[in-house]
Amino acid sequence: MGVVSVFSLSRTIAGLALGALVLSGCGSSLGESDTAEPGGGRSGGDVKIGLLVPLSGVYAPVGEDMKAGFELYLDQHDGKLGGHDVDLVTADEGEGPQTGVPAAQKLVTQDQVTAVAGVVNSATALGLRDFFHESKKPLLIANAGADAITGARKSDYVWRTSFSNGGVSGALGPAVAEEAKGSVYLMAADYAAGKEMVAGFRKSFEAAGGKVAGEKYTPFGKTQDFQPYLSAIRKSGADAVFAFYAGAEAVNFVKQYKQFGLADKTPLYGTGFLTEGGVLAAQGKAAAGVKTSLHYSTELKSARNKEFVDAYRQKSGKPPTAYAVQAYDAAAVLDKALAKASGDSGEDLVKALGGVGSIDSPRGAWKFDADHNPQQQFYLREVRADEGPAVNAVVRELD
Amino acid sequence: MATYLVSVLNGLAMGSLLFAIALGLSLVFGMMDVLNLAHGAVYLVGAYVAVALVADGAGVAAFVLAVLAAAVAGAVLGGLLAALTRATAHHLDQALLTLGVALVVGEVLTLAFGTDVHSIAAPEPVGGGVTVLGETYPVYRLLVIGFGIVLAVAVYFLVERSPLGSLIRATVADRAMVAALGVNTGRVLVGVFAAGAALAAVGGVLAGPILGAQPGLDEKVLLLALVVVVIGGLGSVRGALLGAVLIGQVQALGTALLPQYASFLVFAAMALVLLLRPTGLLPARTAVHA
Repeated sequence: MGVVSVFSLSRTIAGLALGALVLSGCGSSLGESDTAEPGGGRSGGDVKIGLLVPLSGVYAPVGEDMKAGFELYLDQHDGKLGGHDVDLVTADEGEGPQTGVPAAQKLVTQDQVTAVAGVVNSATALGLRDFFHESKKPLLIANAGADAITGARKSDYVWRTSFSNGGVSGALGPAVAEEAKGSVYLMAADYAAGKEMVAGFRKSFEAAGGKVAGEKYTPFGKTQDFQPYLSAIRKSGADAVFAFYAGAEAVNFVKQYKQFGLADKTPLYGTGFLTEGGVLAAQGKAAAGVKTSLHYSTELKSARNKEFVDAYRQKSGKPPTAYAVQAYDAAAVLDKALAKASGDSGEDLVKALGGVGSIDSPRGAWKFDADHNPQQQFYLREVRADEGPAVNAVVRELD
Repeated sequence: MATYLVSVLNGLAMGSLLFAIALGLSLVFGMMDVLNLAHGAVYLVGAYVAVALVADGAGVAAFVLAVLAAAVAGAVLGGLLAALTRATAHHLDQALLTLGVALVVGEVLTLAFGTDVHSIAAPEPVGGGVTVLGETYPVYRLLVIGFGIVLAVAVYFLVERSPLGSLIRATVADRAMVAALGVNTGRVLVGVFAAGAALAAVGGVLAGPILGAQPGLDEKVLLLALVVVVIGGLGSVRGALLGAVLIGQVQALGTALLPQYASFLVFAAMALVLLLRPTGLLPARTAVHA
């Protein structure tokens, strides 16, 4: 009898899970029905925008920040972009192109959105390039950093509000060459972004007279224990380390860097993703003293940023991240472009995107360069954890 | 040379954790032929118990409390899983059932704790490092090695030397015969399932300061535990110990010596064992059939 009841319990659980699945699947289609009503009587008419961010998988924390950032901009502007009421359709990018590409195609072909913003994964961004190029729909990349997106594979229809990998790490090179007393060891996760980060850093670092002690790539997403690599750093006699990791690997790397006693003798540098958002919260005091380069920090002193940080905290209960700012700015860019656009076709919008000019962002004003990549200020940040939660204090602007 | 010795030490720490985690998986497989794919989820439950109770560096008392709480949670989950799998007749159904449970548990944990990466601080008195062979080494990992040794000895005496142990070994070897002798094998099975799951959850707490807690960690741990079980031999305590120590060393020392092959050394080791000893290095003694 007990067996029977347990068995039916398992069926109930399965039923619940199935129900939840069906419900979550409905989420996006519910959004669609809102726009079925005729747009007559409204001044600007509705505009449908697709937000493609990871809501599941390893990048989900990044996706949540981006969603909150984009929605914050809408909240602050009465749900309007460029005078149009926005119908925001969110889709789950997942972990890679196998989920991200179909989700984006659904947004464009089925939901008929005017533009898509988001995209965390670079492989997904590059995989989407041809689709958006050919269907003549604007794609605003609000995170993916692959250099090629606004380089070798650039398109009139692809614009980026975040950063390029080589740009972020390249900004740090001269600063480390100046500060480090001897040679520097380079370390990154073994995938495209890691290679680009290291290459960008190495180029500007060596140009500024820096010396490289060694270079190592660790298996991406599979390394939990960095001890063997940390020993190799020690053996190399390097005086400083440059590292690129994100997410769980960043947490483990920075904590173990401290636990194995390297943090006290060998300063750790990296791109900002090493100590950003939830990652920094998990590292806590272990991250104290880590210096990174990024285009944003919650600690920027401008009034624009203070107001943004307060509003974001109020909305989501935690401090904002660079990811949130990138999506917030994507909304700001769309706001300007939609206001300027002469029609609602992709061509019209892209023409307007070229003329949005300077964006008044929490990270500081920036504008698109000729390749549709942000021309922006990078900051040297240092983790301080003396009082309260750890933060990325701004040391100075990087040139 | 000292560098490699520190790697050996580190491999022992990982091996200790893997032993705690893989033991339950191995015994349950050996006894009931149940491939419990929810084992990693049970581990993750333990890790999140630690996140809830000691995330920001608590004292020793709170850490011990977390270990006990995880053990209870693990045992309850294990008992539940045992009941579920016993009510399901076929192997494939059981595997699917435990996989389903793993997915549901993982999703519930994500709902409760979010998708962020959590780290767990080692208890305050052992949070620092000591100098071992000229390199700083975290004290906590030395304690984990100590725990592994104590666990191995305790399990050895329990399984090899006690009446309860002989019952467990007999049930692994020939369940029908033990039942014919008038023993309620069902109770033995549920007990072992619960104890094994409790150990996995405790492993989740103890591994917390090293591996943290995040969605998806359950799959990585499950995969490693499966490799340990395959290498050691199904249903064998000594096999699980040998497999865990071996995999710990392959991971630590292998990465230090052959960094470019780091990501698949573990699986190369498994493939090698499967080629040479298909039943594992130390399979359970099947005295009845011998």
